[in-house]
Amino acid sequence: MKLIRIAISLAALGAALFFFGGLIRAADTNIPIYFPNSKLVVKAEVLNRVTYLPIKQVIEFMGIPYTDALALETLTIRSGNSRLLMTKNSALVSYNDQILLLPSPILREDGRWLAPIEFLTIGLTRLTGTEFRYRAGAPRIYAENVDAPELEMNAQTLGPITRLTLRCSVPLNVELKRDDQRAILAIDRSVDPFRERLDHRDRMVRSVVFDDSDGNAKIVVDTTRDVTDMRLTAADNNRVYFLDLFTKREPVTEAVPPPALPAAPAARPDVIPAERKVRVVVIDPGHGGMDTGAKSAAIAEKDFTLALARKLRSALQTRLGTTVLLTRDSDVALDNEARSAVANNNQANLFISVHAGYSTNKTDAGSSVFVMKENFGEGFTTASATGRDQLFLPWYLGYRIHQQASVSAANFLQEALSKAIPGSKFAVRTAPLAVLSSATMPSLLLEMGNLNNPMNAQTLTDASFQSRLAATIADAVQRFSESPQAAAN
Amino acid sequence: MPRHIKIGLIVFGIGGAIAMGFFVDIVGRVRSMVNERETEENPFKPPAQPLYSPTDPPMAVKVFFPAESGDSLLVAEDQTIFQSAEIANRARQILQKIQEGPKLDTMLAPLPKDAKVQDLFISEQGTAFIDFSDAMATAHPGGVLNELTTIYSIVDSLTYNLPEIKQVKILIGGVEKETLAGHCLLLLPLEMDLSITNVMPRDEKIAQLPRSASAVARSIN
Repeated sequence: MKLIRIAISLAALGAALFFFGGLIRAADTNIPIYFPNSKLVVKAEVLNRVTYLPIKQVIEFMGIPYTDALALETLTIRSGNSRLLMTKNSALVSYNDQILLLPSPILREDGRWLAPIEFLTIGLTRLTGTEFRYRAGAPRIYAENVDAPELEMNAQTLGPITRLTLRCSVPLNVELKRDDQRAILAIDRSVDPFRERLDHRDRMVRSVVFDDSDGNAKIVVDTTRDVTDMRLTAADNNRVYFLDLFTKREPVTEAVPPPALPAAPAARPDVIPAERKVRVVVIDPGHGGMDTGAKSAAIAEKDFTLALARKLRSALQTRLGTTVLLTRDSDVALDNEARSAVANNNQANLFISVHAGYSTNKTDAGSSVFVMKENFGEGFTTASATGRDQLFLPWYLGYRIHQQASVSAANFLQEALSKAIPGSKFAVRTAPLAVLSSATMPSLLLEMGNLNNPMNAQTLTDASFQSRLAATIADAVQRFSESPQAAAN
Repeated sequence: MPRHIKIGLIVFGIGGAIAMGFFVDIVGRVRSMVNERETEENPFKPPAQPLYSPTDPPMAVKVFFPAESGDSLLVAEDQTIFQSAEIANRARQILQKIQEGPKLDTMLAPLPKDAKVQDLFISEQGTAFIDFSDAMATAHPGGVLNELTTIYSIVDSLTYNLPEIKQVKILIGGVEKETLAGHCLLLLPLEMDLSITNVMPRDEKIAQLPRSASAVARSIN
């Protein structure tokens, strides 16, 4: 009998744990509340997915009188003639005898009044007139007219280095503090990050997290042991910062030069001493990851483009001594915006996207050099837009500033390829291409051959053909670099 | 069996039951998340409406198909549709012709076999919105040139034959897509581009007529 009693009570305990398990406290986080000249960091509690704030601490900080009635289990907050009454375990709040409904009940634990975060806007704003702003999921609150400019973070693997880019609409002072396996970028003012953390991991970066839980904005970059050096560079009047992480495996001289400074010429014996107009070339191997591109029995487009891009990188580095960056150096998927962003972020002087063709005609073996379609998107610009409307202009027209130079670079490439690979047709064409539309430098896309043509696909997989192709493209880049059109860049 | 072993077994059994309960709960949640993504097919399909009536007169159109070889990327093929009262129905007929593919062997089929037109409407500003099924993107073999000819065979065939359509916006699977197969931008509506075809724009054709002929044309009007 005793045994059954023990079993039943244990079963009841288990059932209770099972049903109320969801109510168990998830985590406590520090949430800073930014007021115009001061800030308050409160310890928020997340219960059952609702963020609760210790409301007494907030109103004490704001200097609002209140009465905490222990016996009645009510908290009354006063401001002028208005009165706000809240009761323990109730989602109903009385404001001047008018009932307000909160999404979750108010709690009282160990003498602390915990109100859901919505109480600030539903209750406290009505009572005091102080406005509060917060984004769902973002652990920070702005009160009144606190100006918190948006901060954009972006991380990219650029061949031998990893670059973290910070962009803000106002100038910032950012200080780099280096810990053992951490880089901390301390920011001197309150900012509002677009994202709390970056989904970026590579051989040098474990995580990138924005943290202002102590009221001081900073970005914490967790690095791996591969990182040997890091450098912080400011650009655009301190509105843009680049944090470059270097690894011991690659010589530091091949790293991207800071955009604000002139590029230091690489110490190579075969570098052309003449003035080079193309200092940074970004090569984009098309497709990657799940996106295989066109396929043939011999090769997938994503593998061909990466192999050719790597060969082209070494050809350009040897011949021209230019800094060459790949948008991807492994089999990963990237969207088109991220590809052109690598070129834009690194102030590239030329952007080449490499692709392989596919035609349903199995005998076709033509190749094309594409530039962005002229006047694309022209009918959709709002030249007359003023003020706020300009914020919503689409960023498809970045290509236009260097349209002529792009055509000139494409002509150099077509000429070089037609000479080097006789018997193959190379046409310069225009198309509304996503990857070129927002590249703000001379940019072109090379589409090689036809993967549906077995002979052609076999040739494209041949390593010696790829090397010859890379050398020919490097020739064309050199000729473009020496041409007056490149100077316009 | 000793008493403490019995108690131990019972506690172990209850623990197992609780763990199983949590597991079932988690599995249920995952399933419900997966099921939410599935969309049921609409059982109340509207009855197919004819795209033209028997009294509609025939209308000659030029349908653009990718050329197998040659300088022009697209080559026009003369076809006939019926001049239905609604412009959208004429556009649907032209799209049907594109889907059916060219009659001649010197041209290629521009659309993947399984691609279907799910919806089509024309805005007051003359933008034709065409919603293709997902197969339009998933079954597309890829290639920049191939993608370009797929898109412009639709855009040019509609805008050339139906002057009421000024531009074409392509949707896929009911939503706006950045590109069709990773290359050509679909975010903005596309306008007619006859430079890649073997056909001259209509106004240029009139301008190239001999003077006497254009004078005759004017006097007739």
